[in-house]
Amino acid sequence: MRAHGFKHSTAGPVTKALSLRVAGPVAVLAISVAAAACGSTSATPTATGGGAAATATPASANLLGAKYDTATASSVTLTGAGANSIEPFFESVFYQYSQKNSNTTVNYSPAGSSVGVTDIQQGTVQFGDSEIPMTASQLSAATGGAILQIPVDLGGVAISYNVPGVSKSLDFDGPTLAGIFDGSITNWDDPAIAALNSGVTLPNLAIKAVHRADASGPGYDLDQYLIDTAPAWVAAIGTSTPSRTWPEANVGIGEQLNTGVASYISQSSSAGAIGFVEYGYALQNGFVNAAVKNSAGSYVAPSEASIAAAGAQATSLSATDFNVVNETGAGTYPIANFSWTLVYQKQSDTATGIALGKLFDWVVTTGQGDAAALGYAPLPANVASLAHSTILELESSAGTPLFAS
Amino acid sequence: MIYEPSPAGPDAVSGLVGAGRSAGVRAALLRRRSRFGDGAYGALRWTGAGLFGAVVLGLLIAIASDSSLAFQHGGLGFVWSGTWNPAADQYGAGILVVGTLITTGVAMVLMVPIGLGTAIFLSELAPRWIAGPLATLIGLLAAVPSIVVGLWGLLVLTPVFANQVEPFLASVPFFGWLFRGEAYGPSILLASAVLAVMTLPTMVALSRTAFAAVPVADREAAMALGATRWQVVRRAVFPAARAGVSAAATLSVGRALGESIAVAMVIGNRPAIPESLTTPGATLGSAIVNQFAEASPGIGTSSIIALGAVLLLLTVAVNAGGQALLRRGSGAHPGTAGALR
Repeated sequence: MRAHGFKHSTAGPVTKALSLRVAGPVAVLAISVAAAACGSTSATPTATGGGAAATATPASANLLGAKYDTATASSVTLTGAGANSIEPFFESVFYQYSQKNSNTTVNYSPAGSSVGVTDIQQGTVQFGDSEIPMTASQLSAATGGAILQIPVDLGGVAISYNVPGVSKSLDFDGPTLAGIFDGSITNWDDPAIAALNSGVTLPNLAIKAVHRADASGPGYDLDQYLIDTAPAWVAAIGTSTPSRTWPEANVGIGEQLNTGVASYISQSSSAGAIGFVEYGYALQNGFVNAAVKNSAGSYVAPSEASIAAAGAQATSLSATDFNVVNETGAGTYPIANFSWTLVYQKQSDTATGIALGKLFDWVVTTGQGDAAALGYAPLPANVASLAHSTILELESSAGTPLFAS
Repeated sequence: MIYEPSPAGPDAVSGLVGAGRSAGVRAALLRRRSRFGDGAYGALRWTGAGLFGAVVLGLLIAIASDSSLAFQHGGLGFVWSGTWNPAADQYGAGILVVGTLITTGVAMVLMVPIGLGTAIFLSELAPRWIAGPLATLIGLLAAVPSIVVGLWGLLVLTPVFANQVEPFLASVPFFGWLFRGEAYGPSILLASAVLAVMTLPTMVALSRTAFAAVPVADREAAMALGATRWQVVRRAVFPAARAGVSAAATLSVGRALGESIAVAMVIGNRPAIPESLTTPGATLGSAIVNQFAEASPGIGTSSIIALGAVLLLLTVAVNAGGQALLRRGSGAHPGTAGALR
């Protein structure tokens, strides 16, 4: 409820987002062309053009489709809750799926990743979604048996800022970002920032660091990146285990959800603000995003191609090996992650189980065609097939597979 | 037993009455009917009271049992321990209690004079054609949901505070130190301003009722003794309405202490000792809003519920304190005649 109310209520940047939606597809088109059109909405499979975006996405019909038609005979309502970061993507794919299959209604409440985990543990929803896969102890607390974790989208965390007069994408490395978020760098003309951005005139303007007031996937990912790259950050927070709750809550200000952070950065009175949001929200708001230093030493801004490049490194992805932060590759954006949908393996209601399987099989295949325009990257082929094989594990309560492989 | 109470209800009974029965029978019917009504009313009353009591009791038991882990872990020190950092599993309500008391206090400093002034204007000075519509408008303010007020604070007041109010206050000589530091916009002061707006309707409506209840004869007596308009209000009306005004203030304080959503949207959510009124802060309510949904199971969740327990105790303490003050105050107050001497 809280999440929903807040999301709908931060209507402020909407007008801004509207004007940017016009510009959005143009920019995305340019990226798509550069990446050999792997994000185009056409259903024809397209080969990728190599380079950073070596991620072939099967944009063909859903994998289950050969045996199971997408149309469901009787009407089914699927209720889900979870991550706020995936909301722009889910909103779009669920709408499109319901257009194609009017018998399936999907309700998703973007209240936060841990709400997704708690709700699926309690069995109050048919599916949950979390930016971080469930831990072994969380899985053992589930009331309905084994849980399947399906990777459904690939996103990035943008470092967005509002510095009047600076329209260029500024370069940042781990130690500098750590300095900003632990309060040791307090002004935009700080030598540490200037050293990374020679040729840019930085204003004498106080930094207003914005972080998430609630626990979040983007916060976890940035925490992981800073732990990986900045020893001073580890010293400041006193741990090398990333946390969903932002560890340096006493520096700058905290805002609720991606929408709250984005709304603060976008206000003209917030000159000097810098914060982190899911890239999809940064794209909606038309933010200028930082180019962040990756493990190859190059500075890369978030884009479909650079996020896809991070996902391409996840050759052995699983629910226990999910970290794609600070991956290798010159064109790789270093703060990326997969979002995970959570469903019970044993489905007491067969019709619901089949509807869930079909929906998410569509989401991880055809549905990925929408990802690029919304600020996500299509799932790499190996991850899409991991998702598909996970969906095939769905069973009836008697233990018979719902989908014969 | 002449007549069994009709299962078809009172209409059927009155139909019988209308069918020309004798007066004695009619009286017996009425008696029977009213005895039945009394019984039903009594049962309803007891059920209602019982249900209400059970809900309050259930609430207290749930809060006590769910927060017990946090109190076992931190002892009573939980209430004043100064570090609130869920990321490191450090839970202490002290900072949040301080933040709650400061925001509420500043909100009352801003609101009470304006609320009282408005109530006096409405009941004593304003012509009827202004007072009526104005009171309705203020009543409407009470009906605005807190998330809407929070949104207004976030989108409308934040830029004004960041660009104008906070820099101006910081530049005021002598008082500037109260407002020093970076002007973020979201701050304790902004949260207090939003709380002041939210509590204003309660203050105005209840104080106005209290003023209206002062007998006209008191006012006329004061005027007959040569009091000016201001003296009438100051010496005759206000002392007599003091209990009601205090009740209005106490209710406002209660609402301000517990407000969560709107505060979380505009306070900046920084659980640290505030350097000044224009730095971001955090309250018990804002911490609950932000962290309950994603609190880690066990000690995390228990600590958030313990914040609720602390908030409950704080509210009870403030209300009890307000009532105690009121009792002492009303005992000492010299009365209308004495005040005019």
